[in-house]
Amino acid sequence: MTLRFLRNKLVEVEPCSDGTLDVFWRLTDDLLKVDARLKIQPPELEITEAEVRMDRFPPSVCQSAPELFEDIEGVTIGPGLRKIVHGLFSGPGGCSILADAVLESANAVILHFTRPAIQAGESVTDDEEKLANTRAMLSANPRLIRSCVAFQDDSPIMQGIEL
Amino acid sequence: MITFNRSQVIGAEFPDGETVRFNGIQEDHIYGMEIQMDIRIYDGEILKIDGNMKRYTNFVCPSAIPVLQKAVGMSLKNDGWDKQVMREIGRKGCEHFAEIIIECGRCLRQALMSRDLTAALSEDPGLDQGQYLKNWEETHP
Repeated sequence: MTLRFLRNKLVEVEPCSDGTLDVFWRLTDDLLKVDARLKIQPPELEITEAEVRMDRFPPSVCQSAPELFEDIEGVTIGPGLRKIVHGLFSGPGGCSILADAVLESANAVILHFTRPAIQAGESVTDDEEKLANTRAMLSANPRLIRSCVAFQDDSPIMQGIEL
Repeated sequence: MITFNRSQVIGAEFPDGETVRFNGIQEDHIYGMEIQMDIRIYDGEILKIDGNMKRYTNFVCPSAIPVLQKAVGMSLKNDGWDKQVMREIGRKGCEHFAEIIIECGRCLRQALMSRDLTAALSEDPGLDQGQYLKNWEETHP
């Protein structure tokens, strides 16, 4: 059966020579096309530049999106970001696409930093050592506890873990 | 060089006049997941869901697949539906499955608009598409 609707979304993280990170976020579907770019300054992960462009048929509530999106400049990726973003972009009359763009870009930045450790862990072949490494990672990142099925209390990974 | 890249692709079929079938794929440098689910159009209820994990980070992750069945009966039109999906499917199962379901939910209204616009254009190829969609938004609160 043919598709009647298709959406493609893409987020990319690209380190720059000056130490900043460029994040490109794109949404394109039958009715909407959005391109957003954020510049992130480590180590605080401050959003120093933000721009967005909407084409095709943007929702009427997003007419002032390019100006509104600049309000995220100066905000740091970290605790409280979700609340700040929803305060700026969501709610009645808000343009929730902007909130999605920022939060998904922030998540991609976090995964940019996470990926090398996950790749390094793939060189470990011993199951017990893998388990010990995962438990050590959890001990160092207790916010992950109960964040998914693997880190629930009854998971074998959680058995015997000291937190 | 790109150091992290994530793609999401969401497709919508309309197998009959009352149902939309979403096929969602999420691929990135770390994870690879797929969701297929049927939604009843008038109330947004998830009627059926299946998922597949292609790449994940530890041996417990696949046990999130049966957790997907908790989504059956949830409505993608209720207030706070996305938070409910993240709580019940993301936290008790897999966050990445929840991300795909949420993106499918965000596409529900767009898919219906696209379907109706396509039908309207087949009747009137010269239709003012922007005006049609504006009217559609006003008549489908």
